[in-house]
Amino acid sequence: MQTSGTRRVQPQSVSPTSARRALLKASMLATALVLGGTSAWAQNGALPKGGAVNLAMVGEPQGLDPMVSTADLVGTIMQHVYEPLYTFDANWNIAPMLAESLPTVSKDGLSYTIALRKGVKFHNGRDLTADDVVASLQRWMELSPRGKAVGKEVASLTAKGALSVELKLKTPYAPLLAQLALPSGMAAIMAKESIAPQLKEFIGTGPYKFKERRPDQFTVLTRFDNYTARKEPASGYAGKREAVLDELRFVPVPSANTRVEGSLSGQFHYADLLPVEAMGRVEKGAPAVVPIVTKNFGFPYIVFNTKEGVLANQPLRRAVQTAVGTGELMAAGFGDNRFFTVEPNFFPKGTPYYSDAGSKLYNERNPQVAKDLAAKAGYNADQPVRIMASRQYEFHYNMALVMAEQLKKAGFKTDLQVVDWATLVQRRNDAKLWDVYFTHSGLLPEPMLSPPQLGDGAPGWWDSADKKASLAAFNQETNPTKRGALWGKVQQVVYDEVPFIEVGKFNSLSARSAKLVGYTPAVWPFFWNTGLKN
Amino acid sequence: MMRFLLKRLGGALVVLALVAVLVFCLTRLASGDPVALLLGDQATVEDIAAARTQYGLDKPLPVQFALWVGELLQGNLGHSLFLQRPVAQALLERAEPTLFLALFAVGIAALVGVPCGMAAAIWRGSAADQAVSSVAMLGASVPSFWLGLILIQLFAVKLGWFPASGYGDPTASLGERLQHLLLPALVLGMLNSAIIIRFTRASMLDILGEDYVRTARAKGLPEGTIMVKHVLRNALVPIVTVLGLTMALMIGGTVVTETVFNLPGVGNLVVRAVLRRDYPVIQGTLLVIAAIYVFINLAIDFLYTLVDPRIRLEAP
Repeated sequence: MQTSGTRRVQPQSVSPTSARRALLKASMLATALVLGGTSAWAQNGALPKGGAVNLAMVGEPQGLDPMVSTADLVGTIMQHVYEPLYTFDANWNIAPMLAESLPTVSKDGLSYTIALRKGVKFHNGRDLTADDVVASLQRWMELSPRGKAVGKEVASLTAKGALSVELKLKTPYAPLLAQLALPSGMAAIMAKESIAPQLKEFIGTGPYKFKERRPDQFTVLTRFDNYTARKEPASGYAGKREAVLDELRFVPVPSANTRVEGSLSGQFHYADLLPVEAMGRVEKGAPAVVPIVTKNFGFPYIVFNTKEGVLANQPLRRAVQTAVGTGELMAAGFGDNRFFTVEPNFFPKGTPYYSDAGSKLYNERNPQVAKDLAAKAGYNADQPVRIMASRQYEFHYNMALVMAEQLKKAGFKTDLQVVDWATLVQRRNDAKLWDVYFTHSGLLPEPMLSPPQLGDGAPGWWDSADKKASLAAFNQETNPTKRGALWGKVQQVVYDEVPFIEVGKFNSLSARSAKLVGYTPAVWPFFWNTGLKN
Repeated sequence: MMRFLLKRLGGALVVLALVAVLVFCLTRLASGDPVALLLGDQATVEDIAAARTQYGLDKPLPVQFALWVGELLQGNLGHSLFLQRPVAQALLERAEPTLFLALFAVGIAALVGVPCGMAAAIWRGSAADQAVSSVAMLGASVPSFWLGLILIQLFAVKLGWFPASGYGDPTASLGERLQHLLLPALVLGMLNSAIIIRFTRASMLDILGEDYVRTARAKGLPEGTIMVKHVLRNALVPIVTVLGLTMALMIGGTVVTETVFNLPGVGNLVVRAVLRRDYPVIQGTLLVIAAIYVFINLAIDFLYTLVDPRIRLEAP
């Protein structure tokens, strides 16, 4: 039985750090290499109306409550039903969605006044009001893992009249708008009357309405005819949205190979996240099938246990870092070099958070120096480094194999534990069980969103004075330009203290039918402004 | 007759009780945490603990087992952690593709297997026998996922005659759904026909050596009558058994084929439940599959009494 496709990014609707996401500022349209242009359709507004599309997704969504689950799949589907106050445009700038415009922020950076658009209709026909926004965001701060983190920063949230909301912070918190804009663990605005701890109905303002879900078969959305669109031209997730297709059918297809065959045979109009080895076959499917390569889709990272076990010793983590060759790891994980980049900067060049701080400590692959460092750190060769990896993501496993060899060369004893993903996410919460584990994340437009080790209490339990100081400075600065410079300091601390190693960046492969027109590649794929050619 | 069936039924219930214990223990012995998977990476330790309490996963295992058995006795299979619905409903939704697939596949297996097996037995040692036996051998050794992929490549991608996967659109008619089932049924049917061929052949050969066949030939009965009335009729007992067991096996054993063809059937449900550690679904589904298996065995026993009256007499 094939439980996961090779190098599939996100099997079985279970993802590390909500894997799907992120391209960075300015890079999205420039680098999302779409082979076969479709944008003309969108610009001409000549999209053919109607039709139903089959969209092969990587698994079954954990549920359909977009707040409770941070899984990307849930966000991908439900972003058609619910809308946030803010969203990202094609260059990863924050843009208003249900909010009229960007918020008015007080000089001290503590008070945000958010005006809402007038006359926005919910799926039940009622107009959106400030009360809906307050009730929704309160639910988000109570139930959503992301919302809870934001809730800790919020002093008050009140409606000011029918179409205005005021949010007050305890201390300046720069990631606020990015948090409100993300489709995963979404700060979705729901009709107040539909809000319950467990949602019974899904009433939002989005261009599509929820129709039916049959687990492991499909989730069906239908066009919302009274959708209230923005006037600005479409850009990324922002601007005008139009439901052109009658029906969207999200079909869970966990077997990557089945997604490939299904898209080649014309059964699926879109197939999400294919194994990179399938590129050749997808290219041969031309002109009926069009491959979609999304650059800098995500990054694999190796987490270290800084609390217990042999690598709680920081100089020893430095020795491991010196032994590791990330270039070899990426090659082992992703094979074809069209699908990965080996570079020390956590964020791509040209984006606000680009920095080469700490780059000397990246991709060293020097067993001799590592051996000396380990000896100085008091390493006793009887202590094995326990490396945990799952084969559910084949690239984790391939990289773990190579890393174990690199460590052995530097005189480390290793113990590679291959477990399934469900076991890994359980064991990593127990500091006694592991020293190293492999995971990955999507690349997000806001550094504080991933990896979770930048926050408190995540597996690895990284906690140090330098971490606290550099992050406090970064988070309290609301000026985007100054934040960019401050990020370099955080990156340097990560390289110095080695709580985790960002291995490199990988690209993703998806495919669409040539009949699907107007589709704009996106990290959380969306199907408004998309039509079906006969 | 009644006593015979009652005794078999009692035995079946004991088997099911054992299965319940075993299934519960196995799911809990496996490591992995459904709640950590459900909540994702952003969840804090407190969130996970709260959710564990909500689902009753923090209780001691004997208590969890007792609660589950209590629910079972009330006819309730439990509630899925992931699917937001009762296990029974999830199972019912997936029963249709699996049942149709199993019936379809057994039909193909029987239609191919019985005539081929008969031919191989009648012309024993001939080129036809050699050919059929070799094909059967080959069929029994081909992995189903490989055959599935080859058929998809040929009939779905190259020729475009059949859909590559799934069970049709939400609005698909029964005909369209059956079209989706044809390729997977062909895979399962071809593979299982190999077993049917071998069984039919062996069982026919046994009977062909019997005295009453020689007698029938001696008194000049036409060969066709001998084959159908005397040989096949008597050879049917083991063949029916194998067909019944194949059917039962398919209810839970179509896992690989369902995965390759992305059919939303029972096998797929179990696999996905295991990966998600959806305990109630794993337990409920395996119990139901075991129950079906046990009852099909019972039904086969009952069929024996119709095909071969001696079995009825021998029953204590």
